[in-house]
Amino acid sequence: MSKIIKILLISLCIIGILSLGVAGAAERPFRTNWSWPTYIDPAVGSDFSSSVAFVNLYDTLLYPDIKGNPQPHVAKNWEVSTDGLAWTFHLRSGINFHDGTELTAEDVKFSMDRLTTIGEGYAYLFGKVASTEAPDKYTVVFHLKESFGPFLATLFRLYIVNKDLVVANIKRPGPYGDMGDYGKQYLLTHDAGSGPYIVKEFPLEEYLLMVINSNYWQPINLNAPDEYKMIGTCEPVTVRTMMSRRELEIADQWQPVESLEALKKIKGVEIGGFFSGSEHYYMMHTRKPPTDDIHLRKAMAWAMDYKTVVDKIYTGSIQSKGPVNQTLPGADPKVLQYHRDLDKAMAELKQSKYYGQLDKYPVVVDWVSIPADNEKVALLFMSCMADIGIEVEIVKTPWGSIIEEMATEETSPNIAGVFVAPHYPEAGSLLASRYKSESVATWEQNEWLLDSKFDAMIEDALKTVDREERFAKYSKIQDYIVDLCPSLFLFDQMEKHAYQAAYTDWPASKGEAIPIMGYNFAGRFIKVYSDKRAELLK
Amino acid sequence: MRTIKFIAKRLAYSVFVLIGLSILIFIIARVMPGHPARMALGARAPEWAVERLREEMHLNEPLYAQYYYWIKDALHGDFGMSLVTRRSVAHDIKEFFPASLELALYAGIFMGIVGITLGAISGWYANTWVDNLVRMLSYIGIVTPSFVFAIFFVLLFGYVLEIFPTIGKLTPGVVPPPLITRITTLDALITGHFTAFFDALKHLLLPAISLAMGPLSQEARITRASLVDNVQKDYVASERSCGIPEQTIMFKYLLKPSLIPTVSIYGLDFASLLGNAFLIELIFNWPGLSRYGMNAMLQKDLNAMTAVILVFGLVFIIVNIIVDLAVGYLDPRIRLGAERTQ
Repeated sequence: MSKIIKILLISLCIIGILSLGVAGAAERPFRTNWSWPTYIDPAVGSDFSSSVAFVNLYDTLLYPDIKGNPQPHVAKNWEVSTDGLAWTFHLRSGINFHDGTELTAEDVKFSMDRLTTIGEGYAYLFGKVASTEAPDKYTVVFHLKESFGPFLATLFRLYIVNKDLVVANIKRPGPYGDMGDYGKQYLLTHDAGSGPYIVKEFPLEEYLLMVINSNYWQPINLNAPDEYKMIGTCEPVTVRTMMSRRELEIADQWQPVESLEALKKIKGVEIGGFFSGSEHYYMMHTRKPPTDDIHLRKAMAWAMDYKTVVDKIYTGSIQSKGPVNQTLPGADPKVLQYHRDLDKAMAELKQSKYYGQLDKYPVVVDWVSIPADNEKVALLFMSCMADIGIEVEIVKTPWGSIIEEMATEETSPNIAGVFVAPHYPEAGSLLASRYKSESVATWEQNEWLLDSKFDAMIEDALKTVDREERFAKYSKIQDYIVDLCPSLFLFDQMEKHAYQAAYTDWPASKGEAIPIMGYNFAGRFIKVYSDKRAELLK
Repeated sequence: MRTIKFIAKRLAYSVFVLIGLSILIFIIARVMPGHPARMALGARAPEWAVERLREEMHLNEPLYAQYYYWIKDALHGDFGMSLVTRRSVAHDIKEFFPASLELALYAGIFMGIVGITLGAISGWYANTWVDNLVRMLSYIGIVTPSFVFAIFFVLLFGYVLEIFPTIGKLTPGVVPPPLITRITTLDALITGHFTAFFDALKHLLLPAISLAMGPLSQEARITRASLVDNVQKDYVASERSCGIPEQTIMFKYLLKPSLIPTVSIYGLDFASLLGNAFLIELIFNWPGLSRYGMNAMLQKDLNAMTAVILVFGLVFIIVNIIVDLAVGYLDPRIRLGAERTQ
């Protein structure tokens, strides 16, 4: 008898476990997965997942259109002084934070002061801001130390926080004097924004759950997700399982090719891709033998098989034209594009001072171990260079070690294969961060160019407030760089994501992508059709 | 009284072990390549912000001074700030350790019950097809890394059969129980949140079983070997000659002494579960201390790294003490031997 009771109890437990229902599930949940950690404090985070969170939780003065051009958002209009040193923005009235208080110029000033004082996250974009003032409730003025033409584009990264809420949650003492910890502890797990989503739960290391802000001041489409969950995992098997169970709407961009192929086979799942401004460079050390020789660098540029890279390895990506990703405003489409031509390569090589003694100067290429496809590019490069007699050593290097190596001229390798994304959507961003003398010894420049002529050209361009004039200067700089050939401009990276095309309408996958990290994941523009999802689950 | 003395003595020794461990880990963490402050603030952070963080963390001072600051705070329960989560490491440990402990507890229970049972069956039916089957399965369990089981289970039960959840601790929408011990299933039981209890249990099954597969195979093999060894002993022959039923011999006289080596290994295996759970926690997106510690190492989060290793060291020490007590209980010779030396 007791045996029968035991069996019954065990059976009941198993049935209970297997037949659990879910209470209070969202009607239109939207879930994406990311590499972790994610910071929701706009003065701390600047990585991909943090940027996605900011776009959904906070508002900015300006909002980018699909070409990356600034459009009015919280600021309804603006003007700049003739010397380019004072930028005045007039704010809309009636925009409320999530706690119901109104967003004013004081909040904008506080957000800028907080960001530049803490110095983390996107603060590096605002190094030229000398001070901020709020002359009235709806006017804010930024005073710059020197003229900076692309200033508007940087404002996509100034996320406006609720001053009163942050100040009320400051912990003292802290590293910022009177401002204690400047609300960093509070903003670690809470938001202080006015954006279309509000933080509901944020167990660090696991996920960030946001719910829709039904009082948002801008229109939100009727099928926008009512819950937006960012999950901290990139494990291919987990991602694949979640996609097949319709528990994940968009997968991360770091899935390997094999995983994307498997995901594509799931009914209703497609691979969406867009260009986000990132370019993959082989950065050549211009002060270390043998890559210090311009003819040898050009020989390598002509010998590389770019077509195989974009057709077979990073499929969907396109060969770069010069140092600026072609999706960025200010990129010059007419700049010289190297292609595989062994005759030209040999002609250049013969002019090199190392010709005839190439065996004494092997070219060391450090390739970053993630993503794994970088190894295929490195092997292809080695094979292409063998065709013209250049000996290449390829070295798999963890990201942390590459940063260490690139910190000094002596330890930097001949070539480092690195992806670089613009800091703000304009050609000047990539040109400055890649080749200006102040970026040597960082991971953004292995070239050690230290070229005063280039520095003067880029500084002049960046000071130019007139957009057309500035872009013309960018074109000349791109020609100058291509002629110096300090890098191999391999490809403009296509960011690829598997997504539930059967029940999710994602503008970025339809060619309406914004070339700024994070902005293509703004929930208010995404549509989720729960009835279509339910059909798939039947 | 003797037991209390024994525990006190072992705990006193463990203080020295922990101090040694802390010095070792502290030095290793700081001589590893990479700039912690730069890595924490990002490659584009201005130099003054990086320098300020270095100052805050005393990174510009000699190693012995850094250790002094660290140990002084650690003795007050302050392990500093984590560079990754940007909050106190003590807070992180409080949040993530229970999740790992819960996973290890369930894995440990599964490992103990299944491992010993399989070992006992295998030993009892030694050299039959049952024994061969168990031994073969044990070999597979030992040589297969736990993450392979995890991936297999996720694909089978999550992807193909779709009967078990594959990430997290609770299904979205299920109300979590109030935090008492922070062990979800226990908190759910204490507070009567049975929906949450069953849901948490459902989330635990795959990661716990994946984690337990390797060690349970080891327990099975050791139990079998010990049982086969003991079955040859004279006292078993004597019991058989007295007509004592086989079942009684097995459960009353044979199993207990055969478990002594198993218990010793079980303790070490259990403590290892915590440290080895990294990949399991990664695959199942389980918010545990093992994953936290591994991320800390990858991102050169000095304070978190040192504290997590100390916590795991402490767990090893405690589990070893418990194992010694358990072995003493199971084997009077060890207990008596210890008493004689005292």
